[in-house]
Amino acid sequence: MRETLTRLRYRYWPDHLLGEILSKRWTETAIPVILLLIVGFALSRSLEHFLSPASLADTARQAGEIGFIGLGMALVVIVGGIDLSVGSIFALTDFCALYLLDVLNWPVPAVVVVTMIVGGLLGAVNGVLIGYLRLRAFITTLITLIIYRSAYDLLIQRYSNAIASAFPDIPSWDFIGGGTVLGIPSVALVYIVIAIFGHIFLTRLRPGWHITAIGGSRRSAYNSGIPVRRTIALCYVASGVLTSIGALFFAARLGTVGGDIGVGLEVIVLTATVLGGITLGGGKGSVVKSMVGVLIVLLVTNGLTAMNARGGVNRMALASILLVAAMVDIRWQKNRTRIISKVYVAPTYHALPPPPPTEIGEGGPFEQNDRLREVSLIGLGRIEAPEDVILDRNDVLYAGSRHGDIIRFFPPDYERMEVFAHIGGQPLGMAFDKQDNLYVCIGGMGLYRIRPDGTVEKATDETNRSLYSVNDDSRLRLADDLDITDDGLIFFSEATVRYEMDEWPVDGLEARGNGRIICYDTKTGTTHTALRGLKFPNGVAVASDGQSILFAETFGCSIKRYWFAGPRKGDVEIVMDNLPGYPDNINLASDGNYWLALVGMRSPSLDLAWKMPGFRRRMAKRVPVDEWLFPNINTGCVVKFNEQGKILESFWDLKGLNHPMITSMREHRGYLYLGGIANNRIGRFKLDNADPNFVQYDKRWGKSS
Amino acid sequence: MIAAISEFANHFLGRGEAAITVPSFDGALKPNQALEQADILLACEAPEDLATDGTSLLLADGKRLARLSGHSATTVRTFERPISALASLPGGGLAVALGGTEVRLYDSATAETPAATFSQGLHAVNALAPGPDGTLIATDGSSLRGVGDWARDLMELGKTGRVLRLDPKTRAVTQLAGGLGYAFGAIAGNGGVLVSESWRHRLVSIAPDGVRKDVLRHLPVYPSRLSPARGGGFWLTAFTARTQLVEFVLREPAYRRRMIAEIDPEFWVAPRLRSGHSFKEPLQGAHIKTMGVMKPWAPPRSYGLVIRLGPDGLPRYSLHSRADGVNHGIVAAVEFGGDLVMIAKGPGRVIKLPLASLGEEARA
Repeated sequence: MRETLTRLRYRYWPDHLLGEILSKRWTETAIPVILLLIVGFALSRSLEHFLSPASLADTARQAGEIGFIGLGMALVVIVGGIDLSVGSIFALTDFCALYLLDVLNWPVPAVVVVTMIVGGLLGAVNGVLIGYLRLRAFITTLITLIIYRSAYDLLIQRYSNAIASAFPDIPSWDFIGGGTVLGIPSVALVYIVIAIFGHIFLTRLRPGWHITAIGGSRRSAYNSGIPVRRTIALCYVASGVLTSIGALFFAARLGTVGGDIGVGLEVIVLTATVLGGITLGGGKGSVVKSMVGVLIVLLVTNGLTAMNARGGVNRMALASILLVAAMVDIRWQKNRTRIISKVYVAPTYHALPPPPPTEIGEGGPFEQNDRLREVSLIGLGRIEAPEDVILDRNDVLYAGSRHGDIIRFFPPDYERMEVFAHIGGQPLGMAFDKQDNLYVCIGGMGLYRIRPDGTVEKATDETNRSLYSVNDDSRLRLADDLDITDDGLIFFSEATVRYEMDEWPVDGLEARGNGRIICYDTKTGTTHTALRGLKFPNGVAVASDGQSILFAETFGCSIKRYWFAGPRKGDVEIVMDNLPGYPDNINLASDGNYWLALVGMRSPSLDLAWKMPGFRRRMAKRVPVDEWLFPNINTGCVVKFNEQGKILESFWDLKGLNHPMITSMREHRGYLYLGGIANNRIGRFKLDNADPNFVQYDKRWGKSS
Repeated sequence: MIAAISEFANHFLGRGEAAITVPSFDGALKPNQALEQADILLACEAPEDLATDGTSLLLADGKRLARLSGHSATTVRTFERPISALASLPGGGLAVALGGTEVRLYDSATAETPAATFSQGLHAVNALAPGPDGTLIATDGSSLRGVGDWARDLMELGKTGRVLRLDPKTRAVTQLAGGLGYAFGAIAGNGGVLVSESWRHRLVSIAPDGVRKDVLRHLPVYPSRLSPARGGGFWLTAFTARTQLVEFVLREPAYRRRMIAEIDPEFWVAPRLRSGHSFKEPLQGAHIKTMGVMKPWAPPRSYGLVIRLGPDGLPRYSLHSRADGVNHGIVAAVEFGGDLVMIAKGPGRVIKLPLASLGEEARA
């Protein structure tokens, strides 16, 4: 009963999605957006006129003005600094605009340009001090805040009456202050244009990347040749200019130079910035985050004002939000990868019936023997990690190595060895096509082709992206074994789409169907996914009918058959299941049957753990990987089976001293060649009653050597 | 209330009591391969315990009691049940525990009839030691499981171990301490008794008035029998070592329940005296043979360790056989002549190391 519930729960509840979603970059923006929606929804329910056009337009105007300052602040924070002087710059440029317009009676375009220049100059003071003289951003901008504010106070003492008594009636100025286009306030339009440019600037243009790089690591950015000082200084200039744009719209809208203009503005903008998810440490942030943060802050303050909260309450609320947001931000940045790594591993329910017996004396096809003890060794200590081995029609032996090479050994004694080709990734399964090209699956890289002269070419490293997967599964993570059909289709397995090759034990711990069978068409060069949701698919071999493939599911402990053509096209059938071990590569035998490597054997403790996902999840969190319960891949065997799913014989090495692990085997002229991914040797075993002239290449492609 | 909440939080987060930390082999316990270099005196079926009166060395091997001289063993006598503990008494006497449930005292190793027999309330007597005033100290590992079934006792978080004083004169059995997490090995001295409490990884000294004091805590191994060392101090054997996986499983009641019910004890996730003989044994990440070699630092399913303790009960140096070694499951170590003679129960061997060579090597 309980087991059934566990099974159903893990079958229908997608545990693995949580980690995948959290590891996406956009979750950091999604959280402020959700917050914004909640705030907006709550306000629209509690305030009557919240969603009226007039109220929205008013909000949009304010949002635009503060939004400009927010963009400047975002830039400065991303580059690793802070700008506290924005409120004072805002006040000064506001004064500047009104003074030029009302007292000096300059034309509007000149006012706009000069105000922006003044804003830029005020920012440049910060920029030079912080960027070039390398003062601390916090203290520098705190000082300029005071200086600018004092200057503003002195200026308005002299000119506030002159400004207040002037009533300019200039249409273009009024349009800046209160005009709309299609009902959208002018300030909002300009903001949108600048925000779109800002987004492109930060994400697509070189200076934007430089800014992010400097914020991420100033020293690395410097070492990479980025002009760190200039970039930082220019960010403060940009902050000043953007603030002056906000001030221009403000001046045009209200036309006043009251004493409290811009007071506390830095707190509002800073709150918006942090709340939007722009990290105070620098290096992370986006325009969208800044915009969302400004909107939240504005909605909260306006909402509170509309509910007749006092100014003190308002500021208190803002300060509290800033505190909480900064706290959440710091904790999240510190623990993000840890949290993701903890929730990413999502084991599922995987039940296997008790395995068939293997003990000596119990009979059955898997009864252990010592036939493989007589294996002779090739390349002992000279080759590392030959996952698969293959022989060409001239009896030359090819094998992969963990250094990313294809090594070949020459007959007759296989003592002489050379590097045939260097690829760079761990070679796994191998197969020759009709033209003697060697196709190799490379873990972490994809499917590669090596021409007879040793040139390496990429066949494919991507397939179609699935519609419903959160992780991008178009790249190949762990191409494993392959075989080639008569029509030049290459079917290969990809063991898992959730982990890298060295993380295969984690996939075993999950025991979920994370793998797939992929088809590459050598004629058209296209790739598509044929089957998905397989439990670590591994060995692949074309079946005798030429219309189907046999493939092994390592952690599913089964062999299945998939028809890619003919009347049964699309069918999948179980050939054998509940194997006593973990099947790996499949290859043709001289008598028309198939060889199968069992890379490891099942142990009762892991079989039980596979039925208890919660146990494994906690194990993954608390126990270091080296101490996890693993699939036993120290002992394995080779078996021969037929297409009806009958095991014909098995070959064991009881002690495993000579050749500990078997991931693949290849029959060639009466011998069986053995590969093992954790081995430093290749095994060679004399088969009794085998066709001494059998060469897989000839049999497969109907040629004779 | 707060305790309950913090316990729940600990369990949920794997902290506090729920943490699975195992101390590392460090300081005096720094690993070496000394036991792998030991001389093999004898290979036998089921060696269990050693005892010496200074002139001869007695070996309990299954039902057989043998006298060891050089590389050969001569059978002294055979009992009807396997011997589970052995002790030489002052004055030439001998004490044997049979099957864990019966203790017999003989005046000499060859004496026909026992001078005294105790069988009342004994379940798993696994070690005997002479006590003061002609009494005998016995440790009874568990009141629920037999001597051979210690892994089950561990997996059931057994805490029914007892230390008993057997008085041959009055035939009285006195309990010195109870509720121990598998008592395995004791030695009398300084008026009190020093006891190995295996499942709690510590040495406890029990004063005559019953007051307990931890002498050595947080061992990375499960301690077992103790014997006196020349020049003061003791030899402490550790029959197997702790691993984080076992500690984790001990905190997973559901898994343990099903494991005990469904799996052959041989293949449990539990410490063992020997390992690597079947692919059905649980395999941990570091056990995978890479380039044909299993690393010695792999988490040990079985381990060999003897610790030399000073008179204060603190470790001085230690002799190891690591995860890739053979001489695992050391259950007894006694000084005899110029040698330290030990039983490696895993491979079924009696091994020896010359005392003169010890210490320096471990300290080097």
